[in-house]
Parts: sequence; C-alpha cells; structure tokens
Amino acid sequence: MNEAALLQNYLVVGGLLFGIGLLGFMVRRNMIVMFLCAEMMLQGVSVSAIAFGRYHNDWGGQMLVIFIIAVAAAEAGIALALILMLYHKSGTLDMAFWQDMREEGQPAFVDQGVPEERAEDRVWPTLTPAGVEPAVDQEEQQHRSNV
Amino acid sequence: MTALLLAQTVLAISSPMTWGIGVGTAGLALRLAPQVAWQKLGLLLALIGIALIGVALPPLGEALPQVLFWLMATLAVLASGAAVTSRSPVYAAIWFAVSLLGTAGLFLLQGAQFLGIATIVVYAGAIVVTFLFVLMLAQPEGHSPYDRISWAGFAIPMAAIGVALVIGMLVGSLPDFAPVGPPSEVLHEEHVARLGGQLFARHLVSVEVVGTILLVALVGAIAIVIQGNPRRKPLVQESEAGR
Repeated sequence: MNEAALLQNYLVVGGLLFGIGLLGFMVRRNMIVMFLCAEMMLQGVSVSAIAFGRYHNDWGGQMLVIFIIAVAAAEAGIALALILMLYHKSGTLDMAFWQDMREEGQPAFVDQGVPEERAEDRVWPTLTPAGVEPAVDQEEQQHRSNV
Repeated sequence: MTALLLAQTVLAISSPMTWGIGVGTAGLALRLAPQVAWQKLGLLLALIGIALIGVALPPLGEALPQVLFWLMATLAVLASGAAVTSRSPVYAAIWFAVSLLGTAGLFLLQGAQFLGIATIVVYAGAIVVTFLFVLMLAQPEGHSPYDRISWAGFAIPMAAIGVALVIGMLVGSLPDFAPVGPPSEVLHEEHVARLGGQLFARHLVSVEVVGTILLVALVGAIAIVIQGNPRRKPLVQESEAGR
C-alpha cells in the first residue's frame, strides 16, 4: 500500500471531521449537541494522530489517542454533570439562556421566525423486533407441579 | 514572485479539493436552514462535495483497502454531518455513534486494532449512552424551538465560511510526504502486546496521571451534582428531639 497516500487521505478525513465538529460547535445551541461536536473534533485529531503514527512507524500516535480517549471520558463525566446543574438552574438546555453574561452594551439575541415543528420531526427512533418467538409447549403450560 | 503566487492561487482555486470543501460546507450550512427545499439542496451539495474531495485524494494503490477506506471515510464524514445538522438531539447522538463506527473502521484499516475496539467500547458504548441519559433527564419532550432554529440568520453562513477556510488551510498546507516502506513496528504480528509494552513501560507515568484524572473527574462530577441538590436534614436530629 502507498503509505504516503494513505497518510494524506487520513489527514484530509481528520481535517473534515474536525471542521464539521467546529461548525456544529459554533452553530448549534443545545448544550449537549455542542459538547458532542467537541467530541467530534477530538475524533478528527485522533484520526490524524494514528495516521502519523503509522507513517513514521512509531507508537506515539496511538499512545496519544489512548490518552485522548481517557481524557474525553473524564471530560464527558464532568461536562454532563455541569450541564445537568445548568439545566436545574434554567430549566432548558438552550445556550442563549445564559446570554445575560454578555458584554455590557451588546444587544440581546432574540429569536425571530422560529420554524414550525414538522410531523416528521416528531418521529422517535425505534427498534425493530428481532429474533423468533419460541414455540410454547402446551403440556408444560398445563402442568401444575403443586397439584 | 507575484506571478508565482498568482499561479499558485489559480491552481488552488481550480483543484477539485477546493471546490469540494467549498461546496460541501455550503451544503452543510444549507442543511441547517429552516426551509425544507434548501435542506434537500444542502444534502445534494454535501454529497457532491464529498465526491469532489474523494476524486482529489491520491489512490492507495490496492483495491481492497481503497474500497474499505472509501466506505469508512464516507460513513464517518456523512454521519458526522448528519449529527451536526439533525434537529432532534437524540438523532444527533445516534448519528454521532454511527460516525464513531466509521472512525473505528478507519482505525482498524490503519492496523490500530486495540484503538478501533476501544473507540467503539468507550465512545459508542459509554459516552454516547451518557449523552442519551442526560438528554432523557433534561429534555424528555425532545423537540425544542432552539434546536430547530439554532443561531438563525447571519451566524450560520459566517460559521460555514470560517470552517471552509479552516479546512482549506488544514488540507492545503499538507506537504508532499516522502514515500516510506510498510511500518514493521506498528503492524507487528503481536500488535496489542507491543502496544501494551509501550504503554506500561515508556508511558507508565502518563498512565498513572490519567488514572488520577479519571478518579478526580469522577469525584468532581459527583460533587458538582451534590452541590446542586441541598442535603436533606439528617434523621438524627428528629430522634434527638423525640428523646
């Protein structure tokens, strides 16, 4: 396999993941989704680190990714606890609720023209039933061990 | 000098990679628009963008890794785009998990077996589930106006332009890497054993530090949650009053 081309491809994919996460972090308002986008940026960095590790035939890239995963887990614990606290205080996951912390003299952000909720947005993810229902043994059903 | 710079600019602008990044980011931004027709156009543009970027990537030289790379990379990038743009946070979390599966596949393709599995177990198994737990606790109704509108208006195109520039600079600054042979150490037969040897020999102190960080984060998370809920009065006082 062409190692240099492999590295180049992986770096492009890593850059794309990082950029998409960055876009989501700047554009979304739901605190949980923002945090998820930060994790996505970490994924982009991980892809690049592993590709560099393979290209240079060195374990450093994979070591770095192991520690990224560990720190991301710690970060997820703390951040989600903080988000829960903020939710208890405000009753919403909306980041714009905290715009009172903005600089003095800045105009407040007001929602304009919120789109109506569509019917297809109300559909929840579902699980399809899997497996076969086992055949019921009639004799066992009618057998009463206590009698 | 100026002519050289001009030629470089023209070369960069005419390459499919630049167009792919631009079109793809525009598609992402359109996906976030409130109009349904724009969202469909956004999906089309995002797909065209990914295809253009794919055309610009250098070929790997072997058929099977190339096909696998295509599958995994497309899955990862498309799913992460869907996670960013989906209106419902539950769907965002699930798309993020799908994107992690793609990333884990990319890791496996690189020969990083342990990390591929660890990503699935830790990220898709633990972190995404924690996300869903918090979503369930905090937003049981699921759909909210602030998810549908985001920062409406001017913010989305500005963010998209900024992100397109960031990706363009990241990708455009890649040098031509010198060809090397297959990695004998990272792709060793006893991959995981070697990895463990490195981790617990050379990076032992780091492992200890990370363990401490995890413990501190755990205690900190519990402390934060307890701080928010004031403690009930202890039962001892009641019994003392009754005495």
